[in-house]
Amino acid sequence: MSAPLTFLRRPPASPPTGVSAASPTALAALPASGVAIAVSMVRPRALDRLCAGPPARAAFWSATLHDQALADWLAPLRPTRLHVGSEFCERLLPEPEQLERTLAEASAAGLAVCLLTPVASPEVLRALEPLFALLPAGAEVVVNDWGVALRLHERHPLLQAVAGRILCRMLKDPRLGNPQYAPPAAHGFASPWQQRLFARMGITRVEMDMPLFAGADSFAGVPLPLGVHLPFAFVAKGRMCRTAGLARPGPERFAPRPFCHHECLGLAARTERAREGTHDAWETLHVGNTMFCRHSAASLAVLAAAVAAGRVARLIVPGEAL
Amino acid sequence: MKIVAPIRQLDEIAALARAGADELYCGVTPREWAERFGGASANRRPGGNLPSLAVLAEAVELAHRHGVQLSLVLNAQQYSVEQIEFALEIACGYADIGGDAVIASDPGLILALAEAVPGLRIHVSSVATCRNADGARLYQELGARRLILPRDITLDEAAEIAAAVPDLEIEAFVLNDGCVYEEGSCNTLHLPGALGGPICLDRYAYVHRHRDGRPLSATLAARLQENDEAYRRWLWYRFSCGFTTTAEGMPFGPCGLCAIPALGRGGVHALKIAGREGPPERKLASVRMVRQILDAHERGESPAAVMARARELRPSHEHCATGFMCYYPEVVGEAERARETGRHAPSSSPTPTSD
Repeated sequence: MSAPLTFLRRPPASPPTGVSAASPTALAALPASGVAIAVSMVRPRALDRLCAGPPARAAFWSATLHDQALADWLAPLRPTRLHVGSEFCERLLPEPEQLERTLAEASAAGLAVCLLTPVASPEVLRALEPLFALLPAGAEVVVNDWGVALRLHERHPLLQAVAGRILCRMLKDPRLGNPQYAPPAAHGFASPWQQRLFARMGITRVEMDMPLFAGADSFAGVPLPLGVHLPFAFVAKGRMCRTAGLARPGPERFAPRPFCHHECLGLAARTERAREGTHDAWETLHVGNTMFCRHSAASLAVLAAAVAAGRVARLIVPGEAL
Repeated sequence: MKIVAPIRQLDEIAALARAGADELYCGVTPREWAERFGGASANRRPGGNLPSLAVLAEAVELAHRHGVQLSLVLNAQQYSVEQIEFALEIACGYADIGGDAVIASDPGLILALAEAVPGLRIHVSSVATCRNADGARLYQELGARRLILPRDITLDEAAEIAAAVPDLEIEAFVLNDGCVYEEGSCNTLHLPGALGGPICLDRYAYVHRHRDGRPLSATLAARLQENDEAYRRWLWYRFSCGFTTTAEGMPFGPCGLCAIPALGRGGVHALKIAGREGPPERKLASVRMVRQILDAHERGESPAAVMARARELRPSHEHCATGFMCYYPEVVGEAERARETGRHAPSSSPTPTSD
């Protein structure tokens, strides 16, 4: 996309700033009904704390998200769903035994389970089959690969396909500060051709990150019940994993053929860009093969308003600190 | 196998065809597109595009006169409804002037193209990040005739997809221009260099930490530092060894020449040279390199001999040995052995070509 040199200048009227702690912006209270909270985890734990009362949940969210205002906003609503697995890495699919255990624990906690799936190699497709077989009828599977969507539609029609955020392509470059890029930063779910594809593949829900320049129209035109991820948007993901380089010396250290010891489950990096004359609008971090940016306080306020207005059916929040 | 090479201007066509390219691809950004959609590009490249449909028509005519096909790239990650409608107008005009194929990524656009311009071939762009047979079959059902595999794929995966969907042509990267992130999962812009360039080359400092807040041990911190240094070396290779070439203009950087025998065995139909925005000399040298190795493979040289020949081309033994320059680094060990054996090893069983 072509760009004038005003790219990175943040105009005075634009409020976004990268913040990770207590947002000063007031968030519209979560409605008691009409929106659900899903917790996303690679390796589920502490489900009891999530399902305890609001004070315990507030403490859990605060420790996980490092934002007290956000934690206080989320705490009143008990999560009802558990998203397990990974959208970003084929190495983080649960083993069948892990998934079985998670299904039991989630059931005991009153949480419905949704399986997260990544962009899929042939090996991933094979690994998914025994996982699909374990899921109860009506369970959701988040698909981020059209091949997985087709597989699900053809072979597992009793499972519900959800279009994941990797399929929702939109500009999310955290170096941009100028809302003139809001149009290309919009979601592409409104296209009638896209909607026909959803219908053809039996997709019943969609998920997305918050658009970079969130506004009142950010969720317009979404044809299906919408889940929105917060407080992080994924910026870019590779198949190559920088962190996995710790696990394998030699020619394939950063190669597509994945190998690791799941180092990313314990490690992350704060990333900062040192460049004269630029003021990045969003805080960024790197976990495994993926770069994330954190929503601004203003973006979260827009999201809260959209939830209050009934435009968002589900909030998806990471249950593991990034 | 066919060699597919990029162009950005008309005077590249004859030279690349003479050098051995079988197919060419290009982008076009009509003035009306830029006026209507501002910064949003038709095909992810602010530069390196033909300026109008009239010039595109000249390019098609010129390519056909030189016996090569010309594909049109419309492979932005996603298009708005208005952009899809405009893209369909471009595609219809392109079909009318005898264009050969459109390279697309957005599944909505692919669906729309198949319906609106049914006679036009559709090639699924690497930007679609399709790396399994079910995805390939879906795109085929939507109307695609060829799948361009993403960069980050293994030879085994490529062969498995090709075998599972035999009626869909498979194209794989063979030379130039690596990405760090998957093209279809990278939601950023290539900013002007002064403002940071591609995000994977931008000057981000990494401050590593445990996700649970514990401090890093000195041992782990040292390992992370070593890993960061190795990553920066890899990045240098990934971006064309600092965009260097030999004195003859042959580019260093992402390369799959050693893997050509394996790609052929795996049923790959076409070999893609990347670098639409690069200088003409680089494209010409790239086509000559691929042609030389492909010819050796097709005249029945053993895979070991082909690999040894590939490494002698520039030559690039030291770079090759790292594996960091490879699109398919799983062949590095095999290629090292081939080098030790010698490039003139006898051909025991000529490999059939897929084309």
